[in-house]
This record gives sequence, C-alpha cells and structure tokens, in this order.
Amino acid sequence: MARQIGEVILDLKGISLSFGGVKALTDISFDVREHEVRAIIGPNGAGKSSMLNVINGVYHPQQGEIIFRGHHLRDMNTHAAAAAGIARTFQNIALFKGMSVLDNLMTGRNLKMKTNFLQQALWWGPARREELANRLKVEEVIDFLEIEHIRKTPVGRLPYGLQKRVELGRALAAEPAILLLDEPMAGMNVEEKQDMCRFILDVNDQFGTTIVLIEHDMGVVMDISDRVVVLDYGKKIGDGTPDEVRQNPEVIEAYLGTQH
Amino acid sequence: MQFFFEVTIGGLLSGVMYSLVALGFVLIYKASGVFNFAQGAMVYFAALTFAGIVDAGMPLYVAFVLSLVVMTILGILTERIVLRPLVNQPQITLFMATIGLTFFIEGLAQIFWGATTRRIDLGIQDEPIPWLLDQYNIVVSTFDLTAAALAGVLVAALAAFFQYTRIGRALRAVADDHQAAMSIGIPLQHIWAIIWGVAGFVALVAGMLWGARNGAQFALTFVALKALPVLILGGFTSVPGAIVGGLIIGASEKLAEVYIGPMVGGGIENWFPYVLALLFLLVRPEGLFGERHIDRV
Amino acid sequence: MTASMSGGVPDSADTFPRLLLGHARARGARPAIREKDLGIWQSWTWAEAAREVRGMACGLAELGFKRGDRLAIIGDNRPRLYWAMCAAQMLGGIPVPMYQDAVAQEMIFVLQDAGIHIAIVEDQEQVDKLLEVKDQCPGLQHIIYDEPRGLRHYTQPFLHGLDEVLAAGKIHDQNHEDFLDEQIAQGRPEDVAIMLYTSGTTGKPKGVCQTHAALIAAAQGGCGFDKLDADEEILSYLPMAWVGDNLFSYAQALYAGFTVNCPESGDTVMTDLREIGPTYYFAPPRVFENLLTQVMIRMEDAGTIKRGLFHYFMAVAKRCGADILDGKPVNGKDRVLYALGNLLVYAPLRNVLGMSRIRVAYTAGAAIGPDLFRFYRSIGINLKQLYGQTETCAYVCLQPDHQIKFDSVGLPAPGVEIKIADNGEILVKGPMLLKEYYQRPDATAESINAEGYFMTGDAGFLDADGHLKIIDRAKDVGKLNGGAMFAPNYIENKLKFFSYIKEAVAFGNGRDEVCAFLNIDMGAVGNWAERRGIAYAGYTDLAGKPEVYQLIEECVSQVNAELAKDAMVADTQIHRFLILHKELDPDDDELTRTRKVRRGFIGEKYAVLIDALYGGKASQFIETEVKFEDGRKGKVAADLEIRNVRTFPTVQGRAA
Repeated sequence: MARQIGEVILDLKGISLSFGGVKALTDISFDVREHEVRAIIGPNGAGKSSMLNVINGVYHPQQGEIIFRGHHLRDMNTHAAAAAGIARTFQNIALFKGMSVLDNLMTGRNLKMKTNFLQQALWWGPARREELANRLKVEEVIDFLEIEHIRKTPVGRLPYGLQKRVELGRALAAEPAILLLDEPMAGMNVEEKQDMCRFILDVNDQFGTTIVLIEHDMGVVMDISDRVVVLDYGKKIGDGTPDEVRQNPEVIEAYLGTQH
Repeated sequence: MQFFFEVTIGGLLSGVMYSLVALGFVLIYKASGVFNFAQGAMVYFAALTFAGIVDAGMPLYVAFVLSLVVMTILGILTERIVLRPLVNQPQITLFMATIGLTFFIEGLAQIFWGATTRRIDLGIQDEPIPWLLDQYNIVVSTFDLTAAALAGVLVAALAAFFQYTRIGRALRAVADDHQAAMSIGIPLQHIWAIIWGVAGFVALVAGMLWGARNGAQFALTFVALKALPVLILGGFTSVPGAIVGGLIIGASEKLAEVYIGPMVGGGIENWFPYVLALLFLLVRPEGLFGERHIDRV
Repeated sequence: MTASMSGGVPDSADTFPRLLLGHARARGARPAIREKDLGIWQSWTWAEAAREVRGMACGLAELGFKRGDRLAIIGDNRPRLYWAMCAAQMLGGIPVPMYQDAVAQEMIFVLQDAGIHIAIVEDQEQVDKLLEVKDQCPGLQHIIYDEPRGLRHYTQPFLHGLDEVLAAGKIHDQNHEDFLDEQIAQGRPEDVAIMLYTSGTTGKPKGVCQTHAALIAAAQGGCGFDKLDADEEILSYLPMAWVGDNLFSYAQALYAGFTVNCPESGDTVMTDLREIGPTYYFAPPRVFENLLTQVMIRMEDAGTIKRGLFHYFMAVAKRCGADILDGKPVNGKDRVLYALGNLLVYAPLRNVLGMSRIRVAYTAGAAIGPDLFRFYRSIGINLKQLYGQTETCAYVCLQPDHQIKFDSVGLPAPGVEIKIADNGEILVKGPMLLKEYYQRPDATAESINAEGYFMTGDAGFLDADGHLKIIDRAKDVGKLNGGAMFAPNYIENKLKFFSYIKEAVAFGNGRDEVCAFLNIDMGAVGNWAERRGIAYAGYTDLAGKPEVYQLIEECVSQVNAELAKDAMVADTQIHRFLILHKELDPDDDELTRTRKVRRGFIGEKYAVLIDALYGGKASQFIETEVKFEDGRKGKVAADLEIRNVRTFPTVQGRAA
C-alpha cells in the first residue's frame, strides 16, 4: 500500500517579496500536492526561509497569489495559517525554554482548545475534559517521537538535537495538514539526522501530513523528497523530482556546481 | 519566647498581604516585561471602589463582583490604551508610562470616590483567637489569620490556573518567549489583556484586605511600595519568590521593630525592609528564586 | 510448603499456568502487572491477565504450537511478552526469551539450536532482524509482533499482529474452554518450563533447561527467605532473557502473587522507579554505581549549605548507618544524629533514587565495591548480595537481613547444599539445578558430577560463620610455591575498588610470593595531582611520579591489611608492585574487548618486568610498541620503579 499523492493543496503564483529595495523573492510559482514531501533548496540567501515565511504569513508578498485549498488569497497571516492547519518549525528553535516538554507540546494544541477563560478559571467540566482529551493527543505524539523520558524536563536543559525533535512534536501536536520544516536537520550529528529523517517520513506516511521542508543537506533532501524546488537569488531555477533536478544544468551550475 | 512567637506570627500574617501586592507586579512583569509602577495605585483604586459601592448600600458580594468588573475593565483599558501603542519600546519608556499611569489612576479614584478615607468592614472580627489565647497565651488576630488564609487560597488557585489550564500555559509561553508564542498562534494581545485583568483582580483582593485593616486611604499606595523590597528578595520573575519574600519582609520588619527598634529610637519598621533588600542585592542580585541572567558577550 | 506461603494459592499449583489461574481465583481483582503507556500506568488484574494468557495460548495453538515446542520471545519487558511465556507453558511448550539488543546475526544460533518455529517479538525493530536472518533459519514459520507501529506495509504472510492472534484465540477459548483446561492439566512440574541461553564466554551458547519444579523451588525459597508476599511491587527492566529477571519478575511474582511493573521505555526507568516506588528491587552493581555518580554530581552543583549538610550527614551515615540497619548497638548521640540525617538527607535521597519503599534490594552479577555497597546500606536501603547462575535459577546464596558481610555473598539459600572441592571450586546441589543443557548431553554430564553436584566453575570458600566468599573463576586459581591458594581476580578486584587504580594484574602462580602490575586511573589520579599542584605531561610521566607511587603504595598496603584478615588468602599479600608505563589497551591485545585482563599475554609481553619484580631489582627499563587510535604505531619507553609493600601478619581467631 503506497502513499497516495493527492491534488494540489497549496498553489503559489507569481510571488514577489522585497524589503525596502532589496528583492528577496522574484515571481516565484510552485505548487504543493496533498501528502507529498516537497523540498525547497538553494544556496544561502536564495530566499528559502522567506518562502516559508510567506506561506505561514510572517511576510506579506507585494505581488502574487496564494491558493490554499481552493481559496484565493493575497497573503496569509500567522494566526489564520495556524488555524487553517499549517504548522511549522524554525531554523533557530523557537521553544519555550523554561517550560517542560509536555507543556510545550500542549501549547501546540492551543488552537484546538475551545473552552473560555471563565470555564478554565473554574476548572469547569468541559474545560477539564478538553484538557484530558488534548493531553491524550500530546501523549500520542510523545510516544511517536520516543521522547517519554524527557516528558517533564524543561526544554532549555535538553541537547540541541532533542530540542529539534520537541519542536517537531509541538508542530505535530497541532495535527497539521501542512507541516513546514525550516532546516530540521541543521546542526545535528549523523544519528540524529537519521532519526529525524525517519520521523519525517513516518509522519508523512502514517498521518498523511503534507510536508514542505528546507534543508541544506543535499543527500537528505534527495532521499526523502517527492519533488524539489530550487531557488537561487530569489528566483526559481528548477522544479521537479530529485532526479530531474539533479540533471538540470542550471541547478548544477548554481548549486551543486559550487559544492564540488 | 511567647512574645517572640507572637511577633513572628503577626509579622508573617501581614507579610502574606505584602506577597499579594507583589504578586500583581510579578504577573505583569513576567508576561510583558513591564515593571508596573501603578500596581499600588490599582490597589488604592480597588479599595476605594469597593468601599464606595458598599457605602452606596450594596451587599458585600455585589460590591465584590462590581469592583471586579471595574478592575478588569481598568486593567484591559490600561493594556489597550497605554501599553499596546508602546510595544517594542525600551523598557524604561514603559516604566515611565506606568509612573504616569499611577498619577492618573490615583486622580481618577479621587474624582470618583473623593479623597476621604473610607472604612471597609468585611464582617471579620479583629480580635485575638480565644483558643490560642487560652491555651498558649499568644495573641493572633482572627482578621489577620482570615486574610492570610484568603491570600493563600488565592495564590494556590492562581498557581493551579497557570499550571493546568490552556490559558495558563499560554501565559507562561508568552512570558517565556514572545516570538515563539506568536508563531504558534497564541494571540499576544489577548494574553496581555488577561494578565492585566488578573492583576486587577489581585489588586482588588489586596485592596479589600488592606482597606479593611487600615481603611481605604491614600497611604495604601505607599504600603504597596513595600512590594519592592519583597520583589528584590524574592526575584522579579518568581511567583513563589513573591510569597516567600513577602513572608520574610513581614516577619523581619516586625521583629526588627520590636528587638532592634528600641536601640535606635523606634520607627524602623518603615525603612528596615529596604535596608534588608539593599543588603540582599549585594549577595544575590537575582533574588532568592529569580533567574540568574548571564549575559553572553 | 504451606498454602499461606504462596498467598492463598493451594499447593497443587505446581506449574506456572496453575499458579496464574490460582491467583486469578484467589486475588482476581488485584493488580498483576502494570505498564506505563501514553503517560499513564495501565494495569491488569490477575483475572484479566489470566484471560489474556488463555487467549494467547489458544491463538498460539491455532498457529500450530504444540507440546514441547519452543517459542522465541524477543523484546523489552512488556506485559504481553511475559504473558506469552505463560501461554507457551499452558500448552506444554517452552518459552525461549532472547536478548533484545543482540544483532540479527547473533540471533541465528539460538533460533537454529532451539529449533524455533514461532517467535513473538516486540516491534518493527525485532521483526526486521528476524526477516534479515529468516533464510538461514528455515524452521521459523511464524513471527508475531506486539507493537504494530511501522509494520503496516509489511505484507509477508507469516507475519501476524499479536492483537489478531489474541482476538482469534479468545474466541477459540470461549468456544472450547475445555481444550486449554486439558492442556493445562497435562502439565507436570518436572516439565521444562523455560530455556535460557548462557552467554557463552567459552564456546557456543548452551540452552539451560529449567523445570517448573526447579524455578518454583527457587521462588519459594527466596520468597520465604525475605518474606515476600502479594503486596510487593517490582520494576522489571532487566532483560527477560536473563535468569534473574525470570526468577524475580516471573517465578517469584507468580509464586507470591505480587505486582510486576513494566517501564515505559528503557530511557524512563529512573522516572518510572520514582513513580512506582518498588518494595523489592534488583540491579547489577553498575546501576548502583551510576546512580551514586548522578547523586554526587548533583551534590557538587548544589548550594554550599546543602552540600555541607550532605557531606556532614553522609559522614554520620558512614559511621553508624549500616550498623543501625543491621540492628547492632550504636551510641545514643549517633542515633540522634542519624535520625536527624534521615529527616534532612537520607529520606529525600532515597526518594530521589526511587527507593523510599524498598524492603529488599539485591545486587549480583559482578563484585560490588565495598564503599558503594556501604553507601546504600548506610542511607537505610536494605541492599544485599546474592549468588547464583543460570544453571541454578540464580539461586545459591543469599545474604540474610542483619548479617551482612560486605565481601561475602551470604549463606546457602534454603534447600541448597554447598560443597567446596579440593581445588577450591564451589559445588552446589538442590532442587533448583538445571535438568539439562538442551541437546547437549556431553555438556550436561561435564557440569554435574557423580554425586549430583553442579560444578559452578567459581572458586570460593565458606568462612567461619558459614558465609560463602567467591574469590575467582576456578580455572584462574593457582597455587603459590608455599601451597597457599592464589586467586588473582580476587586480589585484582580488591585493588581496583580504589578509584586511583584502573587495572591490576597479579602474578603468583608457581612463585613464592605475589607481585602486581598496576595501571593508575588517569582521571582520578590526574585530579588528585592537580589539587596538589603536581605538574605532569601525560600518562607515562604521571605514573612515574614518586608522589603517585606513594599514593598507590598506600592503597596496596591497605589491600594487604584486608587480605591478612582472612587465613585463606593471607599468604597472597602483595609483596612488590610497579605501575606500568602505558595503559593496558584492547587495541594492543592486553585486554579483551570487554576489558578483562589477558593475563597470559601480558605475562609474555612484559616478561622482563616480571623478572625484575621477582629478581628484587629497584627499577627496570622497558620500551613498548603501541598502536594509536588512528592506526599509527609508536614507542613508549620508561624506567619503571619497583616498590616493596608492607605486609601484615595473618590475623588469627576472627571467628570467635
């Protein structure tokens, strides 16, 4: 039983973004299909992170259109993106360092919890049931990521690789439709990278989560992605399966060429 | 020895009320990084509002609910009108804003309720507990004990709220890292509004209790300043620190007054806590429970 | 054998399936086993456990599992894997638990030797390993997995989810209840209950066949000895393939009817320990050592007051804690101080260690350092040592409460007879002995002598109070020219208990007296030197410092003082020693990969040093080739000093 790649869920058309006079992204179009692993690669400063920030509404492009699940939008905003099922991780881990792993994951479910301030203040029935139901979801994520042993540990005390995993956990706790991963394997050792790869593929496989990821490690990208977009100086220079991209002369010139 | 216990217990009980005021400071400081100088004024405002409503002939619980509404609105408005426009400004700007806010709230209180001292009667007797008096010959006021118990319950409830509810977690998340909180869809403004509302609630409880003891008068704003040494002792970011700090200040100022006071002519109760805090700053600047800040160069 | 010993289960319960059903009747609603899953302790009562086991047995029967078949069980300690053992036993089969961390290639031998047709494994990891070697194990017909995660895409027809097997089995059991009852009724106590493979340090692993009767006898003896009853809680975290786990978590639990707790994962054992607060606990010495190290590290980071309190009260505990635990007389002042220390330090410490409720804790498997052992006893934890092997159901000697000797393994356990052979080898006899090695009559005959004693291969002696002291492997024991028994490991272990000494090699077989090579511990001695402002330029330099020689000489003479207390070993005090110029290293073939000293090889390689030791020289020059980590070779040369050490006259009449 193979994973079924579905229809286009997210379509970006003609996205241009600039800060002051500096162009970060120029007329970029690509789409993301449901259940696929889509990678964005490119040399440093190619505009990869900017692209993710456009998708989850941190940046607002000057031109272009975002079509998300059939809705045509000028841009996104962070809250709406989170509410619509887009979760993400960050290049520089953005966890709550003073809080336990469990609490960090629970904040990932913030948007799934509906009871109001008063109900919670009084620990009213629905609030308590909601808390328990969400705790169960979070425990499933903990089990999935094999982080039982650090459940109660403050995140700040964990080694870097584990923090990355916890951050993935917080994003997963939101049960996202699309998961944006910004360099999920940066700064990890080989074993941690292998673990992370396995988790990403398992997430994609078991929950059908669509994954958009930025990664520096070319080997990893080519192994786990279904399709790859290549950016260079804010422009798209390649798009296709890993094999197609590998043979694209422009890509070899701009990216791979510099590596060898 | 008996006398010593009596003084200590009295000090601890009044210390609980210092803790209560300090708690208001800590909540806002943790969540938004603002040192809210106006907390004392809010206590004063709350006490006057409560006393005013009671004087207008309302029963105690109605007065409490109404005052709570007023204080919550005051808190939310403060956040909306004063602090939100100043987001991302340096801390000192925010601090100055809260000083301005202090004068504004004090003035507002006096416009509404007049500058006269009002009495607050919560229906709790300020008499020694007979059992303790008979058994051990120790004088402990029923009022002090009730007030302390109330404050204790409040603190426990707040702690539980922060620990075990979604909003409590969101509050801690915001306090921990604004940017990270925003990125996962926690609305900052919403959280700040709640924090200011809670601070208003804490101010109300403190105002009621202090007001019932000493009358709802302008001097309350100075009592509230005692929270400063409490915070220095306990650490600005720690809820347990506020509580322990309050207890230490309360007990030590009373003991100092009784045992050291006569040597220097008395009246040291008012400044002793500040001296203690000053000494403490030299030894442990981050406070008993505060986070040690190590600036990386 | 009284009914009350096994907590209300009648004596007719002479096999494990019958014990299980007995408990399901006698205490059906009490918890039998717990496991932490999704952050919550799930528990199963005896009645529920019995239902699950019955279902599993019927499911196995439907897959063709028959009387006498062997069932491989591979995985971490999980309730359903323990139940699988009992399910196999219900059908008259033999469970074969295997080490879950073995790589696939290492599993082939056992799978082939035991003729495994069906294996129950924990998860995808184990399934993958079995798939890797399945071609080499043609007998393997079915693989059943407990945890389905990651196995959705596996389509092999011989793979079965335990959920499905169990569901089918339960239906079968409901429809044909008498089928299983009949199977259970056919079971006899002299049937083989389990096969455990010995680690096989020499030659191929051997399957040790233990009967229901043997295990139950060992369980009964142990439970009676330590008064274990149905209220005990135990955390089961050691490999199921190890005989100790089988005795504590399976045999004793089923005999006494107490509760077994399975940790959430291998990494959460410490947390789980605190949450469960077991009353009965087993750990190998290294676990106790790691725990102590953690405590010490945490104490070094603690505030001054806390650290001061800790050290003060630890000194108090060292002085009188162990005596208080043993019920020996202690003066009033110490008693008060200890009570205060208990309040401030020991009780919180026990709590942190998850040992607040422990009544009986055991360690075994390797020699435990006396300081380590004393530490736990002194803070009020009733830690004891036991001695046993796979072939004896881990049941030969136990230390009785209040009679703890740090260097013995206690008295012969109830029902066990011990005899010391002329060469010092320990021989044991009793109901707990193995029935045989699986399909190895030769090995069976070799290990059990004509009088029915099992030859343990360990050398030791019984002291004046009847406590057994283990000194060495029997084959390593030699003789001094004077006729005294020479046990090199015994002496080396005593030396290595000092943190300054990392390795030791003792010589003496066929000589007049004992001499030794030593390696210093770079970390501990380096630290010691830095605190004294002694500068050094690496191992060779540090090892040759006169101050270091002085330090080590004191350690050696303390060992001599201890050896002198025992008439059996008093003649083997160390007369001369030297500190080697290089660390003994597996890369240079001086140690095995498991860091055991290769005495013979070292003896040849450093023959010149040995000659110097016995020739009475004051120093000796040596040059040695070494391999560096990157494969390069180099030479280390030094002029090694040789020191004489003070020896002590034998202490007489200790037994009085």
